[in-house]
Amino acid sequence: MSSGSQAQPVEDATTALESVPDQKTRRYDRQLRLWASSGQAALESSHILVLNSSSTSTSILKNLVLPGIGAFTILDRTTTSPSDAGNNFFLEGLDSVGKPRAEEAVRLLLELNDGVKGNSIVEKDIQEVLASEGEKGTEWIKSFSLIIAHNLEKIALDRLADVLWADFESPPLFIVRSAGFLAEVSIQFHEHAIIESHIESSPSLRIDKPFPKLLQHSLSLDFDGMDVTDHGHIPYVYILVRVLEDWKKSHDGKPPKTTAEKKEFKEIISKMRKKADEENFEEAEAQAYRCWTETVVPSDVKSIFTPLSTPSPSHTKPFRILLRALEVYTTTVPPYTLPLSATLPDMKASTSQYVDLQTLYKERAVEERDAFRAVLDKVLQEQGENPSLIDDETVTNFVKHSHILRLLRGKKWGWLEESPDTLATLVQTSPKQLAIHLALSALASLQTKHALATAQSKSTKEQETEFQPKLEDLITEAKSLLPTGVEFEDDTDFENAIGEAARSPTADLPNTAALLGGIVAQEVIKMTTKQYVPIDGICTIDLVETWTGLL
Amino acid sequence: MASAPSTDWPGRYYHIDQVLEKPGPRTDPAFLAGDGVKDFLRNQAKILVIGAGGLGCEILANLALTGFKDIHVIDMDTIDISNLNRQFLFRPKDVGRPKATVAAEFIMKRVPGVTVTPYFGKIQDKDEDYYLQFNLVICGLDSIEARRWMNATLVNMVDPENPESLKPMIDGGTEGFKGQARVILPTFTSCYECSLDMLNKPTAFPICTIANTPRLPEHCIEWASVLEWPRVHGDKKMDTDDPEHISWLYKVASARAREFNIEGVTWSLTQGVVKNIIPAIASTNAIIAAACCNEAFKIATSSAAFLNNYFMLIGTEGVYSYTFEHEKRHDCPVCGGEALDLTVSPDSTVENLIDILIERQDIQIKKPSLSTPTKQLYFQAPPQLEEATRPNLEKKLSEFVPANGEITVTSTSLPFSLSLRILYS
Repeated sequence: MSSGSQAQPVEDATTALESVPDQKTRRYDRQLRLWASSGQAALESSHILVLNSSSTSTSILKNLVLPGIGAFTILDRTTTSPSDAGNNFFLEGLDSVGKPRAEEAVRLLLELNDGVKGNSIVEKDIQEVLASEGEKGTEWIKSFSLIIAHNLEKIALDRLADVLWADFESPPLFIVRSAGFLAEVSIQFHEHAIIESHIESSPSLRIDKPFPKLLQHSLSLDFDGMDVTDHGHIPYVYILVRVLEDWKKSHDGKPPKTTAEKKEFKEIISKMRKKADEENFEEAEAQAYRCWTETVVPSDVKSIFTPLSTPSPSHTKPFRILLRALEVYTTTVPPYTLPLSATLPDMKASTSQYVDLQTLYKERAVEERDAFRAVLDKVLQEQGENPSLIDDETVTNFVKHSHILRLLRGKKWGWLEESPDTLATLVQTSPKQLAIHLALSALASLQTKHALATAQSKSTKEQETEFQPKLEDLITEAKSLLPTGVEFEDDTDFENAIGEAARSPTADLPNTAALLGGIVAQEVIKMTTKQYVPIDGICTIDLVETWTGLL
Repeated sequence: MASAPSTDWPGRYYHIDQVLEKPGPRTDPAFLAGDGVKDFLRNQAKILVIGAGGLGCEILANLALTGFKDIHVIDMDTIDISNLNRQFLFRPKDVGRPKATVAAEFIMKRVPGVTVTPYFGKIQDKDEDYYLQFNLVICGLDSIEARRWMNATLVNMVDPENPESLKPMIDGGTEGFKGQARVILPTFTSCYECSLDMLNKPTAFPICTIANTPRLPEHCIEWASVLEWPRVHGDKKMDTDDPEHISWLYKVASARAREFNIEGVTWSLTQGVVKNIIPAIASTNAIIAAACCNEAFKIATSSAAFLNNYFMLIGTEGVYSYTFEHEKRHDCPVCGGEALDLTVSPDSTVENLIDILIERQDIQIKKPSLSTPTKQLYFQAPPQLEEATRPNLEKKLSEFVPANGEITVTSTSLPFSLSLRILYS
């Protein structure tokens, strides 16, 4: 469904309802205005696996249960401790102490939304699933829509990331790490395709390359013969097409180029007024840049054109084929632009003039969409695919958003550590982000070493020792993650991050947990609905300075 | 008394104590790690939360978990079904009950030893003595007017002789995937009023478009609500929370849209336009509320430096955030102390000036009344005074005000008076 308003995607949110919306629509009203019923349906069919029930994990889940994800499973064999009961809102104080933490959390989370299913698995953890259940365990993990790992022990995390990365069809893995005021979030996935990116960018009106009927109508208007009222209500699109056409006749077929020419062009528009206050001519002047800004395929879209031969997961295959068709379309079908969008911004005009213009655009958009469909069918045929792989609704939606398409290619968890060149650059360009990442990595390494040491130790006293890494050990560990010879120019960022890590190595602070709960849930929603653009890299967070940065 | 020490079981604050028992590299040297700061946080600090909605629910839960034991909350609203997708302290059975009361009950039930004192009413019901009892105020509001009132009240409360009169105000706001959190130290840092021009201008449709040349579905909806409702229903007030009223508007707007061949009028859009609905989700509220509470925690404990002074976050494309110092405006009508310079044409009438004031994004005033030190120029109310001053509207401003002369502007929508210095171009 389309309409003249491009500022209001709301009409897509619900189909035209004749009467008061039902309970569910009313409950979800404020979010349907963001991701519409298509996004909601995607959320409701997802099943999320969460690998513990820490304060951070339950905060994330809270923000997913509320908008109505389909189901979640918590895998956690932890028994609620007094400290858990102190910092987790989804535990009931001392009443929960001694009980399986995941069971308590699931019970209290489910109170938030009876449309959501949740369950807990408390007799094992992810380490055991990976270690002892072999192929069956791996398949079970992969059966979820996505997996969230907060402060998962390093060996298990690396193993899990390996197992998932080995298969293109694996669900995304969310890696969340935090200590005190520091945190980071990243997502491991192979590929993520977005049609409805909601990026704030308007499609071209193609005033510089008008389609035949638009040109024809603009040329047919008798500006001088019109009465004052009609003249004051000509949409600026017609005015610009007309003035540009006249201009080109006396300028070798070229639009204004120099500053002087552009000024002259605007003066021509200004002089066409019959009254000083004709707003449509004011708009035309303000929009005149459209005449000398050539309509081309946006570079962000061009940059994602990819050979179909590169490997990709099956869920992005239709998108890849659509993208290939778009590449063919924009290089073989004149005027070598994206298919026309039917969306028209509001402009000063009489109702009939505006509706007529809207109709011109809509009809042309349908023609170009059909031309695109023909190209697509050919591509499908070449690929040996059935034309029914991509339905008309998807094609229309793809064309409508073709100026804001995105295709993200993810990286394997650990990519940064495996790239000495990148580290050498980042130490210069993003020292603060990198310092946070290294501090959290150093903590994770030392914690694993500590756990191994205490497990091997015979003395029970030693087994009970808490993880309290020394500052010097953290510094040594963090520096060992950098390639030889690569150092921070100024140690301040590094010392700040390591110092915070040493101060609160095992603290899951309620505010940090709540903030992560929000950030990770936003990302889960974006990945699941395939709307909006998820983070592409590692998002690092410092809550001392209330700051975030990307690696 | 807020806290009973017995509820602080051993290990309860294991996580938080890690940052209260040791300073970090960036912690102020004045930070006194250990029992003193814990005692202040848990037994002495008194904190006020304004709003028990999307942000408020999150704020209350975070504060309670961080160890604040004496929390007060003000909210004038009751619970609606559309709140339940994010206001997680409320259940379907609570619909219709006061938000402040239900939120307070829930927190006290869930987090032992915390006292939450609710007030179901308006912030304007309370006086300075009331606000003076708190160490900190956190606002989780969706109304600009309420924020302006709270901000102006806290700025006016500052008595340089009495350091206790300075109450830090932490303010959060969200819209869809975006939000911001900020710390205001009244009279020291930029205040809410200083940054009014950062707000998006609300979309307003010219009345002639609505009446004569509708093009968008929104124009048809505005026609139904602004022109047709009063014409058909006379004095009966439109209630945008009443589904039957929305249904009526939807029908009228649809009929007009059909007449003009305009597509896209839906029930949902009708409701969105007439209620000016802002999309809202739990996750964004969680981020912003956490940022606000983290600042409250840092201010109350000095365990880390607090935000100076503005944090904005955009989650639509990756996670983009910007932390910066918003500058104090010296001509801020609330905290600046200087009159605002306004240059107008020497031919301007009093009415022209009123139009300019209404239009200004950094002033945002409805129905201003104007006076000079010696004369009442125009008053919106009471009716007798309005009538007496109405003839001045057509007169030139320069008849009353010399160059560099001052005008005092007041309005019921403004919790302070604005001083203008008039310059003629």
